[in-house]
Amino acid sequence: MQSQRAKDLAETGVSKAQAAGATYAEARVQKTWERQFVLKNGEPQPSFFAEGYGVGIRVISQGALGFAATNDLKTTSVGELARRAVRLAKASSGLLKHRVELDDSKPLQRKWTAPETRKVEDADSAWLREVLLDIEGRIADERAGVRLPGRLLYLGAELEERYYVNSDGSRVEGRLPRVGFLGSLTAVEGSATAQRFIQQGETGGLEVVKRIDLVRKVEEEARVMGKILREATKPPTDTLDVLLSPELSGIAAHESVGHPQEADRILGREGAQAGESYLKADSLGRRIGSLEANVSDDPNLLHSNGFVPVDDEGVEGKKRLLIKDGIIKEFLQNRTTAKEFGLRSNGAARSVAFDREPIIRMSNTYVEPGDYSSDEIIKEVKHGVFFKTFTEWNIDDKRLNQRYVALEAYLIERGELKGLLRSPVLEITTPKLWGSVKARSKHVEFESATCGKGDPQQGAPVWHGGPETLLTGIKLGAR
Amino acid sequence: MIGLDLHELNDIAIGTAKALGVDDAVALSAKGTDSMIRFANNSVTVANRVEESELTIYLARSRRRALASTSNLQSGAVKKFVRDLFSSMEGLPESDYAPLPARPNRFTPSSTGYDRKLESLEVELPEMAGTAIAAATASGGKRSAGVINAGKVTVAILTSTGTRGIDSRTAITLNIRSFAEKEASGHGLSCSSSLSGFEPEEAGRRAGEGAKAMRNASEPEAGKYTVLLSPTVASNLVETVAGAASAFAVDAGTSYLAGRVGKKVAARSINLSDHGVIKGGLGGRVFDDEGVRTRSNKIIEAGVLKGYLHNLTTASKWKVEDTGNAGFVAPHPWNLEIGGGDSTYGEMVKEMNKGIILTSNWYTRFKNYRTGEFSTVPRDGAYLVEGGRITRPLKGMRMGDDLERMFSSVTLLSKDREWIQWWEVDTPTLCPWMQIGGVTITRAYG
Repeated sequence: MQSQRAKDLAETGVSKAQAAGATYAEARVQKTWERQFVLKNGEPQPSFFAEGYGVGIRVISQGALGFAATNDLKTTSVGELARRAVRLAKASSGLLKHRVELDDSKPLQRKWTAPETRKVEDADSAWLREVLLDIEGRIADERAGVRLPGRLLYLGAELEERYYVNSDGSRVEGRLPRVGFLGSLTAVEGSATAQRFIQQGETGGLEVVKRIDLVRKVEEEARVMGKILREATKPPTDTLDVLLSPELSGIAAHESVGHPQEADRILGREGAQAGESYLKADSLGRRIGSLEANVSDDPNLLHSNGFVPVDDEGVEGKKRLLIKDGIIKEFLQNRTTAKEFGLRSNGAARSVAFDREPIIRMSNTYVEPGDYSSDEIIKEVKHGVFFKTFTEWNIDDKRLNQRYVALEAYLIERGELKGLLRSPVLEITTPKLWGSVKARSKHVEFESATCGKGDPQQGAPVWHGGPETLLTGIKLGAR
Repeated sequence: MIGLDLHELNDIAIGTAKALGVDDAVALSAKGTDSMIRFANNSVTVANRVEESELTIYLARSRRRALASTSNLQSGAVKKFVRDLFSSMEGLPESDYAPLPARPNRFTPSSTGYDRKLESLEVELPEMAGTAIAAATASGGKRSAGVINAGKVTVAILTSTGTRGIDSRTAITLNIRSFAEKEASGHGLSCSSSLSGFEPEEAGRRAGEGAKAMRNASEPEAGKYTVLLSPTVASNLVETVAGAASAFAVDAGTSYLAGRVGKKVAARSINLSDHGVIKGGLGGRVFDDEGVRTRSNKIIEAGVLKGYLHNLTTASKWKVEDTGNAGFVAPHPWNLEIGGGDSTYGEMVKEMNKGIILTSNWYTRFKNYRTGEFSTVPRDGAYLVEGGRITRPLKGMRMGDDLERMFSSVTLLSKDREWIQWWEVDTPTLCPWMQIGGVTITRAYG
């Protein structure tokens, strides 16, 4: 956890900012530690280790927001940094048309940690390498039944420790260990190739690798790629049902529900980069999906990649019901946007490093489970396609027009899974997608991902997931 | 700074490493300052200033290699950091390895790409943002969002073989997006390594005019079109081509250019180069991460792939000359350049019978990097061209293709080129307008 000196520096930052004219000030001392290992086609790449330590100070002065950060942690430097943040805010206030104000969230004193069984700091190069070699040993030399001439395997362990203080009286100390895997597999069969990017990760210590059954998962992904190359046929082009797997339900929930329901987008604050939203401030209560469309974001899921029990404005993270029974119920809020909406923040402000300002982010976004078993929901489909995994995907910057290209996909006929299909494309509008939800299974899974937003970019760890979700009356696109 | 200057930091790190008995060591210390102002709805949203220093260390011993970075730059902490890194190499396996060049180099800062006027720019940024917003409003935009970044980065290198040097770069960029009615939006950029080349008013004007022209946009029919890509859109695709030219991507199976050296991969008019240092370039430096002098490398010449980008290790493995593009792990480009053609924008539009002009895009994602199949989502100004003239604004579409087919179908390039670096283009790229035939345009169902 953070030293007393780090805590004193944060306090200094806030008091110096107030003395310089800040009507509100906060300081976050953040320490990061990470260790990585990479195997490229079985060849070890240089092992990598990084540590970062710095302070970010955010202030409001003359109604404007200023943010300054440095890794120069001398007391005098932090004092100067605080004055600089205030100077920046004051200098920009001439271009201010909307004063920045905060909601009345209560000050919080809390110390939190994500649970871990085996300390993440014990992840030395040897341990990381052993895990990757175990995976490599199962997929190299056609051991998974497919030739994989391109194998890029990455395993990383990281720790974030932060101490947050603000002039409202909040004092929050957090410890967040995380283990994550990235794999790029390129399979070749004759002249055909297939590619799969696998991302897995959770908060926790070294136990994460076993808990998520990482080695077996990657081996299974490789095995399926061979089958796809050998067996997949052209997808149908008529109108049919589409069954989304947990992975596809999750990415759709993240891209076309979570992002457009970020209040900063809705208010236009991300307009030049990540974009705005098809939703407006008065869209709360609007129907966007069928009665079966239920999507939430919950930062408190144990072990989750997006575990954020307290956000970077000192607000406890709450489960957000984004769409309930097809109705838009709640947006993701920080203290500034909540004030504009006449609400209280629901704890969605996150920063990935000391030198980044906190902005509104998702945590773990998912389609809520339904009543069907996985078998029952397949039996519901007379003629359809099961999208199990995806490769290419994207969405427009208002979050209305999205596309998911499947890697592993199956034809469903009369309630039974049939053969593999080659790259079916779901290119669909957001209202059509969520308006077509007919049923959901009870079986929920999550995938880890890194969500991009902000300028400078902040890649935030998240989960997305859900159950199998059945869409009816869909016309597939083609690649 | 943390009390030590960059050279002192490097001296401490390399002195400690050599005393431990390494075969090779590189210390790269960097100091960066970045001032930023962001605005939305014609109002400032935040003013940022970040000052950071970092030390990166590379060690090799008995073909075991380790890489590490730290921001804890006190003298004692640096010594301990290097010793800990050395100890951690004990259990490492041998890996691909190429020694550092035995002959030491001395690098002095490049005379290009640095403007003292950008060193301390900070409180001046709001006025520049105001200029851009006013120009956008005067041109038809009702509300504008954007960001101005002004920054400086200095990097110093010292290696165990005695290579020593320092170099600095400055850059200022504006990304502005203006909105008119409903979904109508336009985009403007200004990217420069000097204050005199920075044109916030022009970028604002483009964004405002784009927003005005996009009113009442409608969706196109899906199908094949000739597309005219602005330098902003073309740069986004060019960067993915350069990424595929990294020897690391080729090795890892994530390059459509694997096995294509000496073969035709683009139209004859395509010439793609990378420059460590180039006049007007917003990135790069005179040395790479391994202390090798950077240079200009032809990646594609007259449509033929000339070679890959290498560091010492990949060059040794491929038995070719190092290109000065380290990255200790993966070689990467510094400043990209696509050669210009002989057309004007107006002539390129007139040449299109059934076409689409795209001025901005985002969210380029690949189905398969090995085949180069991808799609990307146009945004802001997009226009249908029929019979050589613009007939209506377009929205709600997607462009999908594969990189080799697209770059092989380039029909015209503009004479005028622009430097592009923004949210969707990391590597500074000097790029013309690009006309490409037979590109697939799709739209969403529902």
